[in-house]
This record gives sequence, structure tokens and C-alpha cells, in this order.
Amino acid sequence: MLPNLMRIASRQSVYSLLCWLLVAVAPHGLAQNYQGKQLVKAELLADTTAIVADKPFTVGLLLRMAPGWHTYWKFSGDAGLPTEMKWKLPPGWKVGDIQWPIPLKTVDPGDIETYGYENEVLLMQEITPPSKIDDSSAKLSTEANWLVCEKICIPGGATLQLDLPVASTSQPANTDVFARYRRLLPQNLAGPDVARADWSRVGSDLRLKITGETLAKYPAVDFFPLPEQETIVGHPAVQSRNNNEIVFRIPLESAPKNLSSLAGLVVFAQQPNGDDRAAWQITSAPGVSASRPAPSRGIFTFLLFGFLGGIILNLMPCVLPVISLKIFGFVQQAGQSRQKIFRSGIAFTIGIFAWFIALAVLLIALKGAGRDVTWGGFQFTNPYFVLALSVIVLVFALNLFGVFEISLPQPVTRNLLSTSERKDLLGSFFQGVFATVLATPCTAPFLGTALGFAFTQSAAIILAMFIAIAAGMSAPYLLLSAQPAWLRFLPRPGPWMLHVKQFMGFLLLATLLFLLYVVGAQRGLEGAIWASCFLLVISVACWMKGAFVVPTASAVKRIVVLVLMLLLVIGSGLYFIGDKFQSAKIASLDSQIRGDWQPFTPERLQTELEQGRTVFVDFTAAWCLTCKFNEASVLEAQDVREAFQRHGIVKLKADWTNGDPVITKLLQKFGRPGVPLYVLYPAKNEEPIVFPELLTKSMILDKLETVARRVASNRAALR
Amino acid sequence: MNTKLVLTALTSLIGTAVFAADAPPVGSAAPDFSLPDANGKTHSLSQYKGKYVVLEWFNPQCPFVKKHYGGGNMQNLQKEFTDKGVVWLTIDSNAPGTEGNLTPEDAQKIATSWKTHETALLLDPEGNAGRAYGAKNTPNMVIINPEGKLIYRGAIDSKATPNPSDIPSSTNYVKAALDQSLSGKSVSTPETKPYGCSVKYKSS
Repeated sequence: MLPNLMRIASRQSVYSLLCWLLVAVAPHGLAQNYQGKQLVKAELLADTTAIVADKPFTVGLLLRMAPGWHTYWKFSGDAGLPTEMKWKLPPGWKVGDIQWPIPLKTVDPGDIETYGYENEVLLMQEITPPSKIDDSSAKLSTEANWLVCEKICIPGGATLQLDLPVASTSQPANTDVFARYRRLLPQNLAGPDVARADWSRVGSDLRLKITGETLAKYPAVDFFPLPEQETIVGHPAVQSRNNNEIVFRIPLESAPKNLSSLAGLVVFAQQPNGDDRAAWQITSAPGVSASRPAPSRGIFTFLLFGFLGGIILNLMPCVLPVISLKIFGFVQQAGQSRQKIFRSGIAFTIGIFAWFIALAVLLIALKGAGRDVTWGGFQFTNPYFVLALSVIVLVFALNLFGVFEISLPQPVTRNLLSTSERKDLLGSFFQGVFATVLATPCTAPFLGTALGFAFTQSAAIILAMFIAIAAGMSAPYLLLSAQPAWLRFLPRPGPWMLHVKQFMGFLLLATLLFLLYVVGAQRGLEGAIWASCFLLVISVACWMKGAFVVPTASAVKRIVVLVLMLLLVIGSGLYFIGDKFQSAKIASLDSQIRGDWQPFTPERLQTELEQGRTVFVDFTAAWCLTCKFNEASVLEAQDVREAFQRHGIVKLKADWTNGDPVITKLLQKFGRPGVPLYVLYPAKNEEPIVFPELLTKSMILDKLETVARRVASNRAALR
Repeated sequence: MNTKLVLTALTSLIGTAVFAADAPPVGSAAPDFSLPDANGKTHSLSQYKGKYVVLEWFNPQCPFVKKHYGGGNMQNLQKEFTDKGVVWLTIDSNAPGTEGNLTPEDAQKIATSWKTHETALLLDPEGNAGRAYGAKNTPNMVIINPEGKLIYRGAIDSKATPNPSDIPSSTNYVKAALDQSLSGKSVSTPETKPYGCSVKYKSS
């Protein structure tokens, strides 16, 4: 085989084969040669002139590499191998772990990142002699193996020996070189007053947040991971940074499900790989073991996000009609007793909680069944859910118009409360449920992050998360009803309330229009028309209830009307919904896409990128109000459209209205539980840029400008 | 409008800029490619749909590759599974001018002299196929099932050394994955960290 090799693969390979056989004993250093050139010189040093019984000292393997060649760190990165040392020590001697100086990070074409050392490195280990040494000198030998690479890699090795006298006292030795490399050892993360490390897991990513004032002094901060055997990490990247806080995103390509942190170094310097570099050593949190959940701090941070997200939900466009209802309720209650108001507030809160807990249970069940679970999506991508919601909204609106009064079935609590209050409380409860149902498609920014986290967690944490959101959403009302004194800032009740009530009915009808638009997007014009027919019959049924099922009517008459109502609703439901609506389909997807947008497919994206174009993808859905808002106020604005055109950026629209599974996968890849999602793909082989869920014009215009300029200069460089 | 400003501020505070991972994960569809072999014949992955396909990233200069070819370990593996109908594509993604880049003539010679048993030795000097799979090492192994999904990616075996004497005592992940798949079982170790030299890609 050797002659063949020589013929084809040039002489170098023979040398490398020879080199790797090159292992010899040498007292003062040993050279690894290649093509007549010395690649690595290895030497074993001690920081002491003599060995003193029971007194630990440090030995170091000094590797001197030829210019351009490097050996590797404990974690070598995408290629390479760490240097190894196997010690042969007399019985009773102990040796510690290798103390690795902070390495350099190298990035090669093809996005290959490696960690290693250039020119020279000293790998130190502590040796502890026994308390009694009989000999007058000690021979300590180690077999060192390394991989040294430039453009090619060549394994090297040496057996090195250290011969030291045994004495009762000793002097420091090799102080310069040891001091030089001790300075390059990572420090333990300083106390919480100086710096803090917080881990969280978001889908298949870890997030590491470092907070500390020291960071502000260093422009170059990086994270070098030290993953365990079973974990494969991607490339850590700085996700966000401000004065004294930096967040790293560490993608996990393969890792235990419950992995919540990694060991590694936070490296900071004036410039990347600077000689002044220093590092904090991060140890993985003890909560990694299989039986324990993620660290509590991470969870509480996310629960807080959930809570804040819940409060913000109240401001989202889809919840506003119900909120106005509730405010109206407060106005009405302003004259009532404190207790009553409080109980009504509690009922409203319970309504909110009930829905969220029900959702959580459903999610946990679906997750357990191995289904793809996404926020909002699994509700609003289902046309029957939207239809049911339309019915509820319509019935509520008709109630506000005074077409009929809601009389609820006999509750169990009948003996506990007066009849009128019972009605109020149940009303409040359903208002709570209703507000929450409408809120779910609004993925508030906080909620997105918090839920992304929750979906990767255990059932208990998902439940806790939803309870936190419920608590946030209901907090303002609970507070108002507990402190009704604050209600005096609201106007006094009077005849105007009837008008407000009716006006609110119109707000709900506006919501109904939106829901029908969603139905239309899912089932086409025909679907929307059939749904409307059904809604019309529902209105008639409500009117029958209001006109004929009144206390003054006889029991027989009431029952007859109720049966008629029921027949009407069931009959029309079977006809319009079970038959017509079900078979209605959207004529063609293209009719959904307007203007200069093109329908998204992964293949389309690939082709456009192959052809050297920059691509913007709008992940949207007909039922997503936030998406509509962004599209109307930013993406379809004149100057933004012009900017897209000027830079020749291809605009693709990924329509998730019906929960397309391909798009679901992509959303998950970006760690998003739902739409909106806006992604700019600058060029092939370049990392896509993700925008926040709420867009601003300047955000888009700035990014387009910088990306276009960079892509243009890259192209110029290639020519 | 005010609400929107507040929300925008909050959003940028928590920073939602995320980036996609590059390599296709196990379970996802294998990216298609078309590459010429040493004889100039073009092979595309899609033409092998319906069969198990092994992709092996190759560099004859790399000590980790030599570890497995020097004693015939890789050749035996190639022979065993190509005999069972598995398609074995060896790919050289090293750029021209770097160690390990093969001209068609080099490739023919090395296949003859090393007595290799792959289905085809493909030349990818532009590195497109390598980048599509996020292949960073030689050797780097990928297994694709008849449905065109990735069922394994990672190292060839469990001992990350350049030393051939470690081969007998290591677990060959590729053999294990193929044996399991061919007998209708699921792959017990679908993902490992590959070890070896880096692929020398063309600068982009």
C-alpha cells in the first residue's frame, strides 16, 4: 500500500504516516518534523526546582508550534482533537486535570469553527507527591498525543520525562512561562455582585444571559462551549447586547431533552482572540440531571414574562371589544355593594383561568400524543373553531342590542346566592372565558418567548405558564374589583348606559366581520356565505327567544318555541354547516396573494437564493390581527414597498391560515409558536435575519439597506 | 399607536433576532445534489430514491480518513453494504488548491489503489453538497432511507482518534444504523458528533 500511496497522494502522506509513528523518549523536549520542517516541539516543565513530600506542584506540557500550525483545546470545535496526556507515576502520586489556557477561535470557510492554540501553549497539571518519598529523585513520565493542523492535520506524540530531585525545600522554577499561562487560565465566575449567568432553554436553543459591569469594557465577548459527550452544540452567537448585559444563543443540534445549561467559557477581550483575553468559567447548572426540572430562576423569569404577557393581552386588538364590555360592567357595578363587585371580579377571573387551564390541559394532551402544537394555530387554523366563535360573538351582540335576555340554566350555586346575583356571576364567568378565547390568537411579544419556552417543558411547567398568563390577564380586573373605590373615576350610571351597551354590540359585530373574513380565507367566499346563512338563522332563534319565551308566556308556549328554536338551529346547522360549509373550498391559493407578493414554498425560497437574490418571507395568517396590522402599516406602506423594489428583494408570503404543516415546521425551527414571523434571507449560505413580531418602518428600511449594501460588496469581492 | 411603541420597545429589549441552524437534522428530507464522479458521470441523490444511501465525506490526505482506509475498515464496510443493495457515495468537498482535493484522475487512481468499494466517488470542488449537509469533517457520515429522509449523521465510530488500533474496540455507528434499518428497526444512535479533519471549503 505504501508505494501506491506515494504515487497518488504525493509524498506528504508518507511523511505524516511516519510522523505519527514518531514517539520517543526525550528528557528535554522532542520535535515533530514534517517535510524537513519542525512542526511541534514538546517539552515538559515543572514550576519547582525540587519535589517536597506532600507539597503539590505544577507541571506543564509546553508545545511550540510552527507558524500557522495549531493544536486544540479541550473542546476542539467542528474538527480536530484535544491534546492528551497519560501519566506514569509511582504509586501514591496523584495528578489533577489539565488546566487549559483560554484558546483562540478560528473560523474557516464552510462555517467551520475550531478552538485551539497557535505558536505556543502550556498545558498545566497539578501533581501531588505522597507524604513520604524514599528515593532521592523522582522520574515522572507522560505520553502526550496531539493533533497539529495547518491546512492538513498531522497527529503527533511524545513520551516525555521529568527528572526532579527530592528535597525538604524547593525554589520556584520556570516562573516566566508558568506566569504567562496562568494569566490565561479562565477565572471562576465572580460573585453575583460582579457578574451573573442565567440559563434558559428555548426550543432547541440554550440562551445564556451574562450580566455584569465588567462586560461594558470589552468590545469582543464570546462564549466557548464545553459540551458533554452526548451533546452536540452548534455555533454560539451573540443574540443581543447592551452595556452590561449580553445574551448568547447556543443552538443544540442534539442534546438530552432536559438539558438546561452547558459548561463553557465567557471570553472577553478588546478584540477577538486578543492577547489580553480573559474568561469566566461557567459550570453547567446542577439541575441538569434527568429527574430535575430546569433551574428555578429560568422558570420564574419565564413565568414573569407570562404574567406580563397576560397583562399586555388586554391591549391587543382582538380582545378590545370584550374589554370594553367589562369596563361597561364596572360602570354598571359602580353603584353596587363592594362585596358584590368583588365577587363579580372573582367570577371574571375564574373564567379567564378556566379557559387557560383548559387550554393547558389540551396542549399537554396533544403534546403527549406527539402532535405538533402551536399557539393560536391549533385553534384558529380550524374553521369550525372560528365558526363557533362567530356564533358566540353574534349571540353576545344580539344580547347587547336587547333582542333577548340571557337566562342561564339552573346553577348548582342556587341556594348560595340570590337569583339576580347568580346571573351576574355566571355572566362574569363567561365574559372571562370569552375574553380569553378572543385573546388566544394574539401572540403578544412576551408571550411568544414565554410559550416557546413552555412548549419544551414538562406538563407541570406548561400548566404553571398558562396560569401565569391567566393571572396577568386578570390582574387589572381583580385589582379594580378589590378596590372599587377606584371605580369612582368612571362616570355615574344613567340612561346613557343603554346606548353604550348597544354601541358595544356594534363593536362585536365588527369582530364578527373579522371572523367571517377568516372563515372566508379558509373556506372561500362560498364558505363565508354559508356560515352567514347559519348565523342568520341563529339570530332568528335569538329573536324568537326574546319575543316569545318571556315570563308572561304560558309554559306550553315557551316549550313549543324552544323546541322550534332547537329544530331551526340543528336543521340549519346540518344543512349549512354539515353539508355546504364543509364542502366549500378556496378556489385557488393564488387568489389570496395580491400585489408583488409571491406564494412561499421551501423550493421557491431555495431557487431564489440559488439565483443570488435576497428574499423576505412574511409568515402570516388571515386570522392574525397583528400580521394584518404589520402588513397595512409597514409592509404595504409606499416607502417600504419602494425599498423592496429598489433593492430587488423577492417577497414571499407564507400563508399559515390553514396550518400548513411545512410552515409549522419552519416556525418551530425559528422557535416561534405561531405567526407573525418575518425573516430576511440575505443570500445563500448566510444566516437569515429575523424581525420582531411588531414591525416598524425604520426597522425594515434600515435592515434592507445594510443587507443590500453587504450583499453588493460581497458580490463585488467575488468578481 | 402608543401601545405599539411600548410593545416594540419591550420586544427589542428581550431581543428576538434568531438564526436558523444550517445542517438538516435527522428526520428531515435529505437535500438533493448532482455531482460528477471520477469518470465524469453525473449522480444525483434523487436518482437513488427508494434505496438506502450512505454519504461519506472524504479526504485521502486526512489521518482520520487513512485510519479507516489503511487497514481496510472502510472498504469492508462499503463492500458489505453495497452487496446488500445500499448506495454508497463518497464525496470530496475539498476546494481546488487545498490538501485532499482530487482531480478526476487522482480520484480514479486512489479508488484503484486503495481498492475502495463505493458506488461512486463524487467530486464537489465547489463544496455545494458538503455545505448543504453541513459536513464539516472527514470522515463525516450520513445515512438516508428509501423515503429520502436522514436517519443518521455524525461520526463513523465511537473513538475519536487517528489511531487504527482503536478500530477493533470501537462501535461502528454506520454499521449499527444500517444493520438496524435493514432489519426494519429504528436507529438507536441517530446523531453523533463527527470527528476528523475539517473539510477544506472554497471561501465564499
